[in-house]
Amino acid sequence: MNKDEIITLLKDWRVALLIILVVASLIAIYPHFENGEFTTNLQYGLDLQKGAWLQLEFKSEVVGFQTDKPVNEFIASLKNQTDAEIFLVGDKLEIRKLYSQAELTPIFEKAGGKITSYQQGVAKATADDVKRILESKINSLGTRDARINTLTGLDGVTRYIRVELAGVTMSEAQQVVGKQGKFEIRVITTGNQSEHVVFGDTITGVGNPTQEPPGSGKWGVSFTMSEDGAKALQAAAIQYGAVSDPENHELQMLLDGKVIYSAPLSKELAANLQHEVVRQLLASTGAGATGQQAAQNLEIHLRNGALPVDVTVAGSGAVSASLGDHFKVICLLAGILALITVGLVVYYRYREPAIVLPMVCINASEIIILLGISVFTIQLDLATIAGLIAVLGTGIDQLIIITDEILHEGKVPSPNIYQKRLSRALGIIVASAATVVIAMLPLALMDLSSLRGFAIITILGVLIGVTITRPAYGRIIMAILSK
Amino acid sequence: MTWATGTIYSPGCNYYDMGFTYDVNRYTPKQMVIIPMILLILALISVGITMAQTGLPVKPGIDFSGGTAVTVFTTDSAEQISAYFAGYPLVGIEEGINNGKYLTFSNMPDAQFRTLSDLIMAKYPDAKVDQIGEAFGKTLQSQAVLALIFSFIGMAIVVFITFRIFVPSVAVVLSAFADIVMTAGAMNVLGIPLTLPTTAALLMLIGYSVDSDILLTMRVLKRQGKLEEKLDGAFHTGIIMTSTAIAAVAAMWVVSWYGQVLVINLIASVLLIGLAFDILNTWLTNAGIIKWYVTKKGGPGLTGTATPRQDTKKRGGK
Repeated sequence: MNKDEIITLLKDWRVALLIILVVASLIAIYPHFENGEFTTNLQYGLDLQKGAWLQLEFKSEVVGFQTDKPVNEFIASLKNQTDAEIFLVGDKLEIRKLYSQAELTPIFEKAGGKITSYQQGVAKATADDVKRILESKINSLGTRDARINTLTGLDGVTRYIRVELAGVTMSEAQQVVGKQGKFEIRVITTGNQSEHVVFGDTITGVGNPTQEPPGSGKWGVSFTMSEDGAKALQAAAIQYGAVSDPENHELQMLLDGKVIYSAPLSKELAANLQHEVVRQLLASTGAGATGQQAAQNLEIHLRNGALPVDVTVAGSGAVSASLGDHFKVICLLAGILALITVGLVVYYRYREPAIVLPMVCINASEIIILLGISVFTIQLDLATIAGLIAVLGTGIDQLIIITDEILHEGKVPSPNIYQKRLSRALGIIVASAATVVIAMLPLALMDLSSLRGFAIITILGVLIGVTITRPAYGRIIMAILSK
Repeated sequence: MTWATGTIYSPGCNYYDMGFTYDVNRYTPKQMVIIPMILLILALISVGITMAQTGLPVKPGIDFSGGTAVTVFTTDSAEQISAYFAGYPLVGIEEGINNGKYLTFSNMPDAQFRTLSDLIMAKYPDAKVDQIGEAFGKTLQSQAVLALIFSFIGMAIVVFITFRIFVPSVAVVLSAFADIVMTAGAMNVLGIPLTLPTTAALLMLIGYSVDSDILLTMRVLKRQGKLEEKLDGAFHTGIIMTSTAIAAVAAMWVVSWYGQVLVINLIASVLLIGLAFDILNTWLTNAGIIKWYVTKKGGPGLTGTATPRQDTKKRGGK
């Protein structure tokens, strides 16, 4: 092939697109040396780097119900019988204590209703709440690479939440999830001086962020204090003048010594505190989205790092740094060896370097593009790597289909017939690609914990193959065969 | 650039022998399908018995039954290890090469697992530990079964849409089904457990197996020419396809075995078994049915009826 022909080939949009994508992917992967060590931008899952994961299961259930009584009355009766926090979520009840359906049935009957559906887990909103709490706990520990995913079923009930922490051991991960902050309420005495009032253990219940009054757009978090805590608060408020002069004696909330909320007593509350103990309090955080955000954060702090719903560990795992590195090396070896053996088999068949070389290069380029995309989308773990190698296998299959279809009856065809044969080959390829995509789709959507990456990489591989690398190969092989 | 006719390679008459000779035209459809059908029945029996015992077509591993798995590289012997974990429900120690050990524990209470994980960290700080609770395993199990069913149905729909003719579509779906069931049967025989990775491998097989089936069916139905030639050509393309796939997976198997990466090794094992069955099912089951279908319908003339994507210009046959 002379220089002109190569230039014509490179100008073909299919070939040009492939080259651009390979270069872009290499830039995205960015292989380089840092402090004498070879690194890339590739993100590794917990199989391939040190870290731990915990799969937590909510000890709670979402129950559909039917009753002739007013809903509020019905819920109150359930609460009395179960001693659990119960919330109305949509048309279902979220019961934040684990009961089996058999245990709940008589309780519901006694309250004057019946169960229409039962599902262990929590409502999506509660799960998001838990996720936020965990995130804030992990953030407070500094720069850790953490991922938290809720696994919500099609019915909108979340049963599991998965926490992945890079760079920690299993017991460290367990500590992080179980860790509680030190919460304190103080009162301003004079200037920026303050006095201790109570600690977080006096807060016995925390509500969800609400608008107070409802619909006003003004957000706040209500919470309940223990009898002793409420008495201490009353005493301190009177002693330090927060009751008589609220504006100059704000009450502050501190988490681990940092002020997270500070506000004066409302006129109404100040007046009440003068002659009675108030256990139900509301911390208002302002209006609009900022107010709501502040209320959400405050709720987390008030809970003192405790989750609103009890959880159990449903599954967990950890990988050490050395084993992760070992797996990485093995994966790299497996990939390279797979590419080489594929090249050998194809060479055995065609005995023509001019065919085999482009095939192997196209195959390798597909893997590079996939890795490039993975930098932005998924973490590489062992299953994903297996998916990559499987893509390599299907990819070469389809290049063989194209080659054999074009070489049908042993003659290099005229351009007209070549186009028809290429599109016929692409017909076979598209059909088989569609089946792979469909076969992998349930896994990609179902969030079957560790297999999602495998399914996504396989689907992406097939799509890139059909749209980019196979057409480019068709063009390249034509140029070579027409020699 | 010039267009010229030349001969580099010619399928069907001058192909290179792959060291395995099989003449796809030598046997009658009945002779072709008999062996795979016997195997399929045997596999169905094996799968059925396992299903009755465990509720799954293949014996579940810890991902689905719950338990703890520990991967570790150590020179300690199996006896030393079982002595060390005496107080815990250690159910298996698999020993690989290069000192790789794979320990499995059955389900245990939370508190016990916590002391176990501390013990593992103290003794083997470089271990990989994975623990799945029993209930979580059940959830994963039902999701995996659903995924398999949806995948299979989805694949069948795509195949039917592609060919829009009943018998050839059934042939493709049947051989994919046979691939999966035979592989599951072989997993039972070889003691390969059903885990998340091996489930993924079974799903991958659906994609792999349909590849060569679609090639065969397209070539036979949508090309013109003699049936024998078309079958022959399809076979020589198809067999090289499966061979390269096997080569890629075999490389993955060897390296992961050498490095004791169990997840990849199990995926590779299942794919290897499945691809071997795929050769059988594509070139005996599927080829047999399509041959029967075309001969019954009256030979090559049939191609005209089934061809939305047919070349208008007739290419010269031999």
